[in-house]
Amino acid sequence: MNETGGPIVPFNNRDPVYLQVVRHFKVEIATGKLTAGQVIPSRRELAALMNINPNTAQKAYKEMEDQLLIVTEGNSPSRVTTDERILGVVREELISEAVDAFVASVRLIGVPVDELLHVVKRKYETMHSQHKEAES
Amino acid sequence: MIEVKGISKKYGGKSVLRDVTFSAERGQITCLIGINGVGKSTVLKAIMGLAPLNGGQIRIDGKPLDKHLYEKVAFVPDVITMPASMKVGECLDWMRDFYRSWNPERAAELLSFFRLNPPDRVSSLSKGNASKLNLLLGLSLDTDYLLMDEPFSGIDIFSREQIASVFTSHLIEERGVILTTHEISDIEHLVDKAVLLDQGTVRMTFMCEEVRMNEGKSVLDVMREVYRA
Repeated sequence: MNETGGPIVPFNNRDPVYLQVVRHFKVEIATGKLTAGQVIPSRRELAALMNINPNTAQKAYKEMEDQLLIVTEGNSPSRVTTDERILGVVREELISEAVDAFVASVRLIGVPVDELLHVVKRKYETMHSQHKEAES
Repeated sequence: MIEVKGISKKYGGKSVLRDVTFSAERGQITCLIGINGVGKSTVLKAIMGLAPLNGGQIRIDGKPLDKHLYEKVAFVPDVITMPASMKVGECLDWMRDFYRSWNPERAAELLSFFRLNPPDRVSSLSKGNASKLNLLLGLSLDTDYLLMDEPFSGIDIFSREQIASVFTSHLIEERGVILTTHEISDIEHLVDKAVLLDQGTVRMTFMCEEVRMNEGKSVLDVMREVYRA
């Protein structure tokens, strides 16, 4: 049971919850918060931590095992894979997904690609510096 | 598995359930959804043998209802049934005396999790605390199945979150849970199977993750389609 209440991941109600959990782990891996070989919480801990049903936690871990993202040997806790190739693919996959969504939505406006890239670059730099100011 | 097969129920001349059929598996959370007065509570009472049926049957692990049912299925009604003059601690003693499946360690664990005080009288409890005591009494029975009638209704947000966290814990693992609600939004992502009731009949039964996966719809989306059609 989680005493703190609110979920650490805001789930949307239209995508399967277990895939949202898998995605959360992929982001953690891609951003280096989870590293190769690191032990991850047990299924039960994860259910409490993310406020999900224990079945969903089980299903998410099964999916990550199938995708070779995590390994579970015998009774020892599950760990992030040490296969660098798989970890590299995760990052590419996330970038590609995010860009696909962006392109699909911006395409409707019909902006020339040079102008678009310029806007993206400027936005990105502004956000980056704001982020730094907030941290300092 | 709890199997509800074609049950019908009349109160006086009024038909409240008509040919209701669904099943609830162990290790899953099944949610009966519908607005007030569609017969959700009656279904739970029928499973507990508390509402004699006019038709259909109910089987639990393949067997019809009998007196051993009460060691196998726990029922948390939407109002507290303990006498108002009893103290919280006395309620626990009472349960221990009447049920072989009572688990005192679990009761102690829940008592501190819900921050309930054994010397408090039932009559002095707030609505939220009465709900928590009610839930504690049901959850502390080591039963295979657990039925809960509107566990989230009319209580504050923090109590609701605390109660919701029960559904993410070992307390319900491996058990079959059936709960009723008229307010799905807070708990959508916790539910495995949804049974939509309307005017005493089942309008639709579906697995929530499958609907998200195959149709990209939330439980609420499906409800809108069904109830507004």
